Amino acid sequence: MIAYKFLRADGSSVFTGFGWPLPAGGPGAWVEAPADPCRSGIHACRVADLPYWAGRALYEIELDGELVEQPTKLIGTRGRLVRRIASWDEQRDAYTRMCADRAHELVAAAPPELSHWDAVVEPSIVEGPALLGFVAARIAEEIAASPAAYHAERERQAAWLAERLGLPA
Amino acid sequence: MGEHITCQEVVELVTEYLDRALPSDEATLFEQHINFCDGCIVYVEQMRSTVAAVGHVREEDVPPEAKERLMAAFREWRRT
Amino acid sequence: MAHPRLETPPAADEAELLARLRDGDERAFEALVDRHYNTMLAVARGYVKSRAVAEEVVQEAWVGVLKGLDRFEGRSSLRTWIIRIVANIAQTRGAREARSVPLSSLAPEGDEAAVDPDRFRGRDDAFPGHWQQYPSDWEALPEQALLGRETLALVIEVVAGLPAAQQQVITLRDISGFTAEEVCAALGISGGNQRVLLHRARSRVRSALEEHLDG
Repeated sequence: MIAYKFLRADGSSVFTGFGWPLPAGGPGAWVEAPADPCRSGIHACRVADLPYWAGRALYEIELDGELVEQPTKLIGTRGRLVRRIASWDEQRDAYTRMCADRAHELVAAAPPELSHWDAVVEPSIVEGPALLGFVAARIAEEIAASPAAYHAERERQAAWLAERLGLPA
Repeated sequence: MGEHITCQEVVELVTEYLDRALPSDEATLFEQHINFCDGCIVYVEQMRSTVAAVGHVREEDVPPEAKERLMAAFREWRRT
Repeated sequence: MAHPRLETPPAADEAELLARLRDGDERAFEALVDRHYNTMLAVARGYVKSRAVAEEVVQEAWVGVLKGLDRFEGRSSLRTWIIRIVANIAQTRGAREARSVPLSSLAPEGDEAAVDPDRFRGRDDAFPGHWQQYPSDWEALPEQALLGRETLALVIEVVAGLPAAQQQVITLRDISGFTAEEVCAALGISGGNQRVLLHRARSRVRSALEEHLDG
């Protein structure tokens, strides 16, 4: 199955530092994950999961073998990177800006007691898309006083990404 | 636990996380958080460095008198 | 940011040392003493009042090891078994000294925040619970800052000053490389207990390092 994976700029895994075989003129080599998919395994995103894991470099990954579906990620036992999604490099800043603008928009429409939530938005920009995605979703949740609003904002973010990156929605 | 955790919660979960003992959904929230939070990534790295620094403590040599007593006890045991 | 494998499994030569020991090989005994003496002392210190008493306990424990060699079935690692012996003797001794309850068997007392709550945004702030100011990046420091003599001396001092049970666990885990399971088996504590003690110990050391490194 085709899924997505964020890696660091050097192609290593964000949490384990594992160096992925990168695609070069074709998919990278297959990687086998240790037998216990819930403890370890290869983590990947469906399109809907992308906002939760926004990172430096985005790749399309082909997963094979056993697959475990969790609320915000997939875990596989076998995978290979198919291609780098270059459009993410181009859209990353625009995505960050979009999330920041959404955050401002949400606060502006919210009761005045929440106006102080706006102050972190601009200073957070330098930390990038993952943080701004969280900021916007967190503000949405605070205003609605509802976890559903957090996820709804994440869905908006995913839809934006699907469209701008040309991914199946 | 909810949809996300705070930095204050992260610093209490870090030991479990490094031991790979966090339940799956908590581990996911933990990783989602450190994915966006530069402060907590730094904190987790500080904790790793702390563990490494403690690991560098080289234990002292066994005090000679204690060692002698032990070897004597060993020879006594071996005799019987 | 790879997961460091800081646990060192029981040395591959445990079986060999055990066999040689049972054969009366003095050098095998000496090797084991060299390897475990300090850990045993640290564990004993968790239960008894003074270093002098702890040293006596360790002596007694080694005799116990020798006398118990026939009984050791290898169900735990040799090092776990050795620590269990010293812990038991120390606990008994500590009880006789009128410390009524062995320290490690108590549930970790009360609450101990890993980081001062003042470092985080308050309930009325935006994003409550998040850092007010990020901790500083030690990766930017020269390697000597963390591994140099001054820092090492600080670490030793802080570990020595920890509450007894925390000191036992961090010594076993992070200095001697025991696994969590081995520590639980050796000290007779639950996994949860073990982790809370380790967490508090490491948090205190980190905090002291931070104070030292941030100046």
